[in-house]
Amino acid sequence: MPELERMLTRLGRELEYPPTPDLARRVAGRVRAGAAATPPEGRSRARRRILPPASLRRALVLALVALLLLAGTVFAAVPGVRDAVLEFFGIQGATVERRAQLPEPPELRPLDLGGRVTLSEAAAELDFTPLVPAALGDPDAVYVRRELPGGELSLAYRPRPGLPAARTTRLALLASEFRGDLHPDLVGKLAGPGTRIEQLQVGGRPAIWIEGAQHFFFYRGPDGNLIESELRLAQNVLLIERGRVLVRLEGAFDRGRALEIAHSLAPSPGE
Amino acid sequence: MHQTIAFRTAWVITGSAADAEEAAQDAFVKAHAALPRFRTGAPFRPWLLTIVANEARNRIKAAGRRERLALRVAEERRPGGAVPSPEAALLVSEQREELLAALGRLSHADREAIACRYFLELSEAETAAALGCARGTVKSRLSRALDRLRSQMEAGDA
Repeated sequence: MPELERMLTRLGRELEYPPTPDLARRVAGRVRAGAAATPPEGRSRARRRILPPASLRRALVLALVALLLLAGTVFAAVPGVRDAVLEFFGIQGATVERRAQLPEPPELRPLDLGGRVTLSEAAAELDFTPLVPAALGDPDAVYVRRELPGGELSLAYRPRPGLPAARTTRLALLASEFRGDLHPDLVGKLAGPGTRIEQLQVGGRPAIWIEGAQHFFFYRGPDGNLIESELRLAQNVLLIERGRVLVRLEGAFDRGRALEIAHSLAPSPGE
Repeated sequence: MHQTIAFRTAWVITGSAADAEEAAQDAFVKAHAALPRFRTGAPFRPWLLTIVANEARNRIKAAGRRERLALRVAEERRPGGAVPSPEAALLVSEQREELLAALGRLSHADREAIACRYFLELSEAETAAALGCARGTVKSRLSRALDRLRSQMEAGDA
């Protein structure tokens, strides 16, 4: 780069910029209040036509907030991820970003799912009713993480005929549940160009299917930033919104089997 | 973060933090409404910056004025152990002042191009989006702006 251009770049980094206002909160407020749905006189017909249906709109509000707040944080936190977001998907409790480049995969390590409990103990501790996939019966192990407001439930199912172990969890199914309405962007997925990401509906509720190629799963800390120690490789994943709860199903299963499991989710017996 | 780059791009165009905030807010509301039409696989930032720049320009048109972009060097925060000698510090400081003064004598269009590409460090595609021109014309526009900046610096030395 010629000297003058280098000087300008250096100067740009030393300049005093006006502080960036909290756009995310203000924009989310405006969108939620329906600012986009009430344009100035004379333009209302054209604007209304492009508005998506309410359920999609809600997902998009969350996607937008996450875009504003979070895009770039992963980028800053993970060396090697330097691309802009190519695609973005949002659901209550989780976001999915497609990027041209992904970070180096971390080593597989034991999952930290919290304390082991029984299903009825979990139901008493959690701020929501646990959902159990009836298609697979009772889980082999139940864990609760209490640090999260509302709690987080994990149901572990060992491999069985027709349901092999996922290489990432060594389980046939890992189902995680938490209050998506309290933590709109708690979990994130980072996917590369080869990963299939599909937005769908499960029982009339928004869901996202993520399959194939290498992709990552992580939790965000209270500041919205990725917690690096929580970054791990994930296998096929179905994210489903069930009322206030976000359910995450991970396994080596295909889309059909994942949907079958999702459709069988029901409040745990005795609830 | 996108909100920072969106706000600063609007600030470079409008010259006003208040106008930039309104323009960026409006742009994000519009981007939200248009998100379903965002072309899958397309880079996100140029798309967003096109909307931001349009909003910023609409604001200038509506107001019938454009505030002069106030470029100032931030209070210096030198990392420990990297304190330059007084002579070197003076030289760097003089260069900065000279550069800022020369930039101040450029047209708004030239300053805008330089600010987007070098200060905000936008890519060529993002600079084109912010300037509202074709990607192919970014290089020539920047090259002319840099030539004029050099001339201004030489005139300042004379």
